[in-house]
Amino acid sequence: MSRLAPDRWAAVAMFAVAALTPLVVRDAFLLDSVILILLWGALSAAWNVAGGYAGQVSLGHAAFFGIGAYAAALMSARYAQSPWLGLAVGVALSVVAGALIGYLSNRLKGPYFALSTIAFAEVLKIVASRWRGFTSGSEGVPVPYRPGFWTLGLGHVAWLYLILVVAVGCYALQVYLERSRVGYQLAGVREDEDAAEALGIATRRRKVQAIVLSAAMTSACGSLWAQYVGFVDPSHVFSIDLSVRFALNSIIGGIGTALGPFLGSLLITSLETYLRATFSGVEASFTGIYLIIYGVVLILIVRFAPDGLTGIAGRFWAWRARAHA
Amino acid sequence: MLTLEAVTKRFGGLTAVRAVSLEVRAGDLLGIIGPNGAGKTTLFNVIAGYYRPEEGRVRFEGRDVTGLPPHAIARLGLTRTFQIVKPFGNLSVADNVMIGALTRLPRVAHARAEAERVIDLCGLGPHRYARARALPIALRKRLEVARALATRPRLLLLDEVMAGLNPTELVGIVDLVRRVHAEGVTLIVIEHVMAAMMRLAQRIVMLHHGEKIAEGTPQEIAHDRRVIDAYLGDEFNLAEA
Amino acid sequence: MDPAARLGPAQIDVVAQLAVSTLLLGGIYALIAVGLTLIFGIMRVVNFAHGEFLMLGMYLAFFAFTLRGVDPYLVLIIAIPIFYLVGLFVYVLVMRGVIHASHNVQIFTTVGLSTALQNIALVMWTGDFRIIRPWESSVVLRAAGTAFNLAQVVAFAVAVALTVALMAFMKWTHTGRVMRATAQDRDAATLMGIDTDRVYRLTFAIGIACVGAAGVLVSPLYAAYPQAGLQFVTLAYVVVVLGGLGDMAGAMLGSLIVAAVEVGGSYIFGAAWKEVFYFLLFIGVLVFRPAGLLGQRGAETLGA
Repeated sequence: MSRLAPDRWAAVAMFAVAALTPLVVRDAFLLDSVILILLWGALSAAWNVAGGYAGQVSLGHAAFFGIGAYAAALMSARYAQSPWLGLAVGVALSVVAGALIGYLSNRLKGPYFALSTIAFAEVLKIVASRWRGFTSGSEGVPVPYRPGFWTLGLGHVAWLYLILVVAVGCYALQVYLERSRVGYQLAGVREDEDAAEALGIATRRRKVQAIVLSAAMTSACGSLWAQYVGFVDPSHVFSIDLSVRFALNSIIGGIGTALGPFLGSLLITSLETYLRATFSGVEASFTGIYLIIYGVVLILIVRFAPDGLTGIAGRFWAWRARAHA
Repeated sequence: MLTLEAVTKRFGGLTAVRAVSLEVRAGDLLGIIGPNGAGKTTLFNVIAGYYRPEEGRVRFEGRDVTGLPPHAIARLGLTRTFQIVKPFGNLSVADNVMIGALTRLPRVAHARAEAERVIDLCGLGPHRYARARALPIALRKRLEVARALATRPRLLLLDEVMAGLNPTELVGIVDLVRRVHAEGVTLIVIEHVMAAMMRLAQRIVMLHHGEKIAEGTPQEIAHDRRVIDAYLGDEFNLAEA
Repeated sequence: MDPAARLGPAQIDVVAQLAVSTLLLGGIYALIAVGLTLIFGIMRVVNFAHGEFLMLGMYLAFFAFTLRGVDPYLVLIIAIPIFYLVGLFVYVLVMRGVIHASHNVQIFTTVGLSTALQNIALVMWTGDFRIIRPWESSVVLRAAGTAFNLAQVVAFAVAVALTVALMAFMKWTHTGRVMRATAQDRDAATLMGIDTDRVYRLTFAIGIACVGAAGVLVSPLYAAYPQAGLQFVTLAYVVVVLGGLGDMAGAMLGSLIVAAVEVGGSYIFGAAWKEVFYFLLFIGVLVFRPAGLLGQRGAETLGA
């Protein structure tokens, strides 16, 4: 039996703690925090598939999140169908959208790629806010609460386990990407496309595949988020802030690592929850404080520790191992 | 094995490669020489699929590969290294080479084993866990060769794998190129280091201003009037600049 | 409708009005975009926080007007040096460290800066829309069947004057030539003894001064709020990509095109859908002509 690396242990421990939480506490606020940490972690992991493993740094992933959120919300609010059906439709639409974006933006690199993804998300935001007849425009769509698994009207504990399954799934998928042929080839594409081509890797196809997979994961999480929160509006679900947030968690935790997105989410989501709770009574605009911290932390991390917390931990681990040897 | 038929590549008004025809037989070790800007690397880019030629055809093992993307050509067994090395900088040497091996061997375990063999062949054994970007230039050049070799090419284009190396390192890499050739890989080598080229190549092609101006054995090339003129002319230009 | 009737005096007025609106709007967009394209062209950094400096300029004008009663056009005189200093400060504090870093590091540095600045504004000044109505906002000029607002005309005139001054500076002064040389080849510039750090510092400061000035100029026309920069900056990206990243004359042309799309689109399809058009235009240009309409610089040089 091979020994697990420290980062794998950390992930196992994190998911185990999440799984055990409902057995110990029933406090809605705490359960809600755990759910959000896992959900934001899963979303960031989805971003990480394209942005981290394949090097396709998108600032428009809110597009897929929004597609998923709207598909589920409209399916249950407008057509009184199961949001699971909406999730499936959303994933299908996001696969198409991801393939389109991936294909069209294939030649674009660095800031050009980021700009084109922003533009895609903006187009969808405008469509969602103006197509009143279908999406109810900028007023948004309230999601009806109908108890049951099929209608995704769940209590906190059930939500926690559902999202935990999704999070573990996203984590496992990343681990697969680290160890499989596809994953290694994507790493090659990320590091140097010309060299990857010379080694027989179809770089364009691989990039599109990574974006499509990432889009599908993001969309599914977006659908679940809509059902969990109960309200969808275009200026939030398609916002660049949201896209930045997916990236931010991954970068702070460690871009291109399986644990990174979850570690980043743990830190950032708890910080947000804590500051929101602390300042909620003071003044509405004070919630902006955690976003200031976001921004500053992001600048500091990319400057001084571009491999994020897992990178720092890895160096610490190596240093300790040397010190003990 | 490889046939170029009057290949021409232009960039705007500049003709980088003009009507170059070439025949490479299995087992050849062909050298391509020429002053800076002669079109050597452009020719490699055309052969390996990075540029599409405006005129002419490229045939590999009887098959017309003109206009195929580089990865498709690489899978047919024709690959290249880069003059300005392009390692997967954040990955280990072992992973770099393994990504090459994955082209022929879809199973990661098999590719890993193949990579180990190639790493040892290329003398990179002691560095297999090093990050590629941390390697000194001589080892990065070796890595470039190792990674290409791991795709099991039948024809390999080596673009200045000796440039910028000191005499000791040079001996090592010449030795490596010989070993690769001995394994049955047909080679086309671009080189600026003339002395090494004269000892290494069986046949040499001279490019000048994008045209093939001479072809022959190293002895023939060394005494070719046009070759001497081209190099001298180049030196005069350098002196004037 | 009979085609002859369609071109009656009223229709000519509409076309003239649309043309004038396009021109006025284009001038303002040009000033916003010219700083972005300057910073990109010379530093090779896409400043995702560009809109936030515009927002700060709008707030500066707002507070000067409401607290001290200073007219925005007077504020402009102090805004340019203030934002120049802000630019210097931000360069030294944030940008200098990442100028040689990878694209991703640069993208997320400016994204982080954007997030921080937006929310500093939110915390300090709340999310309320802040509108000022100085006298020039209510003066309407009429000429040849068209009507426009004095504030728009002044904004246009100042924007064009500043943009032209900047282009002249780049073309004819020694410093401008040094900056262009650095843009052409960073390494060669260093070898020639050019202090590239000074060039970048200057570039960033000038770029920020331009966009800060633009913020002051648009303050009588648009409301200031923490995300105010966002709507303009997405627009500025469109302009800059259309014109070719780093190309100032291209940015002028791009501004006019975007303004024309916006004005024409609003007239034909209604204001609600206008943004869709320029984003579609944006995506089209990115995909098919990433080097911009004039297309001097290859996008591939950027991706390397």
